[in-house]
Amino acid sequence: MSRAEFLKSIDEILELPPETLQGSEELDEYPLWDSTAIISFMALADSNNGTRLSPKDLGACRTVDDLLRLAKVEA
Amino acid sequence: MLHAAIRAIEYYLPERTLPTAQLAERFPDWSVAKIDAKTGIQCRHIAAPEECASDLAVAAARKLFASGACRPEQIDFVLLCTQSPDYFLPTTACLVQNRLGIPTSAGALDFNLGCSGYIYGLGLAEGLIQSGQASSVLLLTAETYSKFLNENDRSVRTIFGDAAAATLLTAAETDHPLIGPFVYGTDGAGGENLIVPAGGLRRPRSPETAAAKEDEQGNIRAADDLFMNGPEIFNFTLSAVPPTIHALLEKSGTALDQIDLFVFHQANRYMLDHLRKRMGIPAEKFVLAMQDCGNTVSSTIPIALKLSAERITGGSTVMLVGFGVGYSWGATLWRANAPLVG
Repeated sequence: MSRAEFLKSIDEILELPPETLQGSEELDEYPLWDSTAIISFMALADSNNGTRLSPKDLGACRTVDDLLRLAKVEA
Repeated sequence: MLHAAIRAIEYYLPERTLPTAQLAERFPDWSVAKIDAKTGIQCRHIAAPEECASDLAVAAARKLFASGACRPEQIDFVLLCTQSPDYFLPTTACLVQNRLGIPTSAGALDFNLGCSGYIYGLGLAEGLIQSGQASSVLLLTAETYSKFLNENDRSVRTIFGDAAAATLLTAAETDHPLIGPFVYGTDGAGGENLIVPAGGLRRPRSPETAAAKEDEQGNIRAADDLFMNGPEIFNFTLSAVPPTIHALLEKSGTALDQIDLFVFHQANRYMLDHLRKRMGIPAEKFVLAMQDCGNTVSSTIPIALKLSAERITGGSTVMLVGFGVGYSWGATLWRANAPLVG
């Protein structure tokens, strides 16, 4: 899955219009970035390339780009 | 050789219900559609204040006896799985034996497991029957988790419901086990991720443990209440379930496409959909049965089996997988020798 497709999927998880997120956004700005969204992102990474993400590592992410790096999404 | 055969299953749901619409009113950030999409649950049943695990178990067992599957006096062992017992002591299974009129010559014990409990109960029943210690085992699963839930914690109130199930296992003369082989797993390192921190002897209830606090997600709970770390539980499930299924297939010499029906612990629809796709299991063989009762912990598998009874005939091979609190997990195959009674 490309970076653009990943961003689109995160848009969906956060219930944002398509192509809203660019990567530099702070996750704290989105109240819907909650445990349900974290689970959805874990499932997304697992489905994409079998990348298993630790909830602790996800909790340390500050921006959308941090999430993409953790999920090994190529820039 | 004698082996355990599942003869009949019945279940009981408390009368009081908690529909998703009511939760969406209470937690306006989560719409009915969102709760439905994430959990697959439209309604949960909630035990009345005076209604305990034994009451639910007795009601389920009475339905089983009323179905004609057997009479109370034929039961020679009661296994009762609960994490919300009526008392620290006595054993809930002993109280249930008396209320149901099961003979005093019967054995009875409780075992404390959650979402994996049904698999372990089947393993215990097969052991009791195969070794000649019992011939008619009443396996009861009964939980009132709602009593552990803070009313302001949407992370758990949207998921859990109360229920009990009664399964009758009787001795059958067969060359091979009808239930088995079994694959078990345990990892107590995950105990802190699904826990009621206070109320046991390590941390007795006190004004301090009753004080509710808000977490980062806006959920409010006290140490007296159930806590679930959803992402950690999801991570555990992804780690434990696929290898367990592979191990069971290998141990039984069975291919995935030889399984007629897959009945997993009904945790929530989102998790089950992901696991199903990850394992390459066809949707038409995969049971989803939490819509009208929620995650009822150790009762989800027998409830799903009962709701799928018309799909299970003599000769069906059903894979059963339980996983959750502990962490604890287990899986087995049930080769049905006849349709369920009732």
